[in-house]
Amino acid sequence: MRFLSKRAVARVVLGTTVAALMSSSAMAAEQLNLLVRSSAANGATFMTDLWNSTHEDQISVTVIPDNQMVTKLATGVQSGDVPDLVAFDLIFMPDFMRAGFLEDLTNLLENDPNQAKVAQAFKDLASYEGKLYGTGFTPDVSVLIYNKELFRQAGLDPETPPKTLAEIEDYAAKIAALGDDTYGYYFSGSCGGCNIFTVAPMMWGSGAKLLPKGPDDPILEGTGVKEVLTTFRNMWTAGSIPPDAQSDPGNNFIAVFLGGKLGMQGAGGLVINSIKQDHPELDFGIAPLPGVKDGDQSSFVGGDVIAIPTGSKHADIAKDFITWQLTDDAQLNGLAKNFILPSRSDLADNEYFQAEPRYITTAKAVGIGQVPWVFHFNDMVNSDASPWITMLQTAIFDGDIDGAIETARQKMKEIASE
Amino acid sequence: MTSMSVGTATHPAAGKAPTIAGEKKHTRYIVAAVCIFLIALMLFPVFMSLLASIKTPAEAMAAPPTYLPHALSLDNYFKVYDYQVGLPVYLFNSLAVAFLTIVFCLVLAVPAAYGLARFPVPGKEILFVVLLLGLMIPYQALVTPLYLMFSKIGLSNSLVGLALIHTIVQLPFSVFLLRNSFEAIPKALEEAAVTDGCNSWQTLWRVFLPLVKAGIVTVVLFAFIASWNEFLGALIFMSRESNFTIPIMLVNVRTGQHGAIDWGALQAGVVIAVLPCIAIYVLLQKYYMSGFLSGAVK
Repeated sequence: MRFLSKRAVARVVLGTTVAALMSSSAMAAEQLNLLVRSSAANGATFMTDLWNSTHEDQISVTVIPDNQMVTKLATGVQSGDVPDLVAFDLIFMPDFMRAGFLEDLTNLLENDPNQAKVAQAFKDLASYEGKLYGTGFTPDVSVLIYNKELFRQAGLDPETPPKTLAEIEDYAAKIAALGDDTYGYYFSGSCGGCNIFTVAPMMWGSGAKLLPKGPDDPILEGTGVKEVLTTFRNMWTAGSIPPDAQSDPGNNFIAVFLGGKLGMQGAGGLVINSIKQDHPELDFGIAPLPGVKDGDQSSFVGGDVIAIPTGSKHADIAKDFITWQLTDDAQLNGLAKNFILPSRSDLADNEYFQAEPRYITTAKAVGIGQVPWVFHFNDMVNSDASPWITMLQTAIFDGDIDGAIETARQKMKEIASE
Repeated sequence: MTSMSVGTATHPAAGKAPTIAGEKKHTRYIVAAVCIFLIALMLFPVFMSLLASIKTPAEAMAAPPTYLPHALSLDNYFKVYDYQVGLPVYLFNSLAVAFLTIVFCLVLAVPAAYGLARFPVPGKEILFVVLLLGLMIPYQALVTPLYLMFSKIGLSNSLVGLALIHTIVQLPFSVFLLRNSFEAIPKALEEAAVTDGCNSWQTLWRVFLPLVKAGIVTVVLFAFIASWNEFLGALIFMSRESNFTIPIMLVNVRTGQHGAIDWGALQAGVVIAVLPCIAIYVLLQKYYMSGFLSGAVK
């Protein structure tokens, strides 16, 4: 020791202390787990990467197949083995809130000024009996996409997309008349989820009430339901829709459009980036989904909410993440920078979207969109034999429009009574 | 020509020999043609998967699909390799679970089958039927209760726990197969081993196991393939991406926006996932066939 000066000893002691403090600090850092469905994994990964780069506590993403999310969360809550955070299709929010799967976040979100700027659809869906159980995370919104080159070939103005159902039918017929396996309109005829996203907004934008929260609520009533089904029936019988559409369970939801021989279809705003990347040759436009009259525009605000499952072991850090992901930094650098819509409506027109007006059109559609607040959404809409998809198939492919609507009403009423 | 004709006519067998040989030849051709047809039929989807996997991602998703790639690309393989925690992690997990399942199956099934086949266990037929009941209960009905039980004892979200689940499912078939294999061994061999001073374990180890090698290999093959391909249990029991196995990764990597399928990534994943199965089958093929037959027929 006599060979070491006091200063050297002090350095060693100080160094050891700092190392010990750093070590204990590193040990104190927590590892959280965020469960997310596979189709929304990109957005969640961007957000957690950004969080991990600026926070000591780290969040890893666990991806669950879309159709297994309900099973996974339900069994997790039953056993007590739950993730720290969960992001899922917002449409399951009512069922999860009622089942008690989620932590009450009312105090946290009501005291967060950014929550007020979140798209209204997310706030509505995450509310149950006066409490808030989640907030917007990675939104998507339905829009009309159309092939401008086919518009030109058919003698249509590529800068003037259809504003009414009648125009959709008319334009589709003109594009289909080009021949050579070219079609005017596409929808996945065996996919309930795809069509609640892209067809239902045409109905409720025209004024219709579609899905019931309870058995006494209006079901498939008002202007728009019969009109939309009639338009699609007319396009089907006129040959404006490809025959393969009838049996598509959603596997080819966007694939036909990417082939360059399809005029129009409803789709999600997220497709803009993938089309630009994989098919730069496609000259396409984006427009709001129209209704019966000019101005009857609407959309389905889809995407994922984020929430904390009951029994989360790191609820405090999870809450920090939820408020952080609503900040300007997270919304812009985690989402918009990667061409994913922000969940805050006030950031729709941001620096990253300026160069691409189609993103702004899509982001603004979040503001005019709706989302149905119903229990048993899966039974009413998503399942293979749901009344929603059965109604579409019977009306469009078989032609029994009135019968299809009436049968669906009865079935939905039964489901809403459960 | 005349002498040949006369010669041929005078020998009764001479005229038939070429006909029989010709018939045999024709039969061989027909059998070969049928075999080639069946092989082509079996290989066709594998070949199409391979072709789809080397298309560009955009071409792989095209509707209607193209049959031959217009341009070659390994992008689909890169996507699978880089997906979330990376292909090596999923491969390691699947291989580890499959290996543990094989070990557990053998450690449990060999003594059980040996005992049921060669010892006068009271009520062993009833025991055997009870054991086989596991085969008759739908797997989906077992998974959730097992998960709740495993969670309580800390075995959820672990590779060992998942291997135990796969073992539970695979064990009845393994015992069934090995019991029949053990029973097929002549009693005289066992008596000779006892006469030479072997106890029961020595008889099993030195005499029986070498004779039921084919049955054991069959159990190994079935345990491996069942574990390698299993999806639902892995999904329910595992809660971290870093513990997921290949089948879960395959389902996730194929999912595009709004449920659209990324066919290129899916087919690349299929090609990668099928390679270990083919490799282990080819390596053990000669044992597998005889083992399956000896186990199936008492």
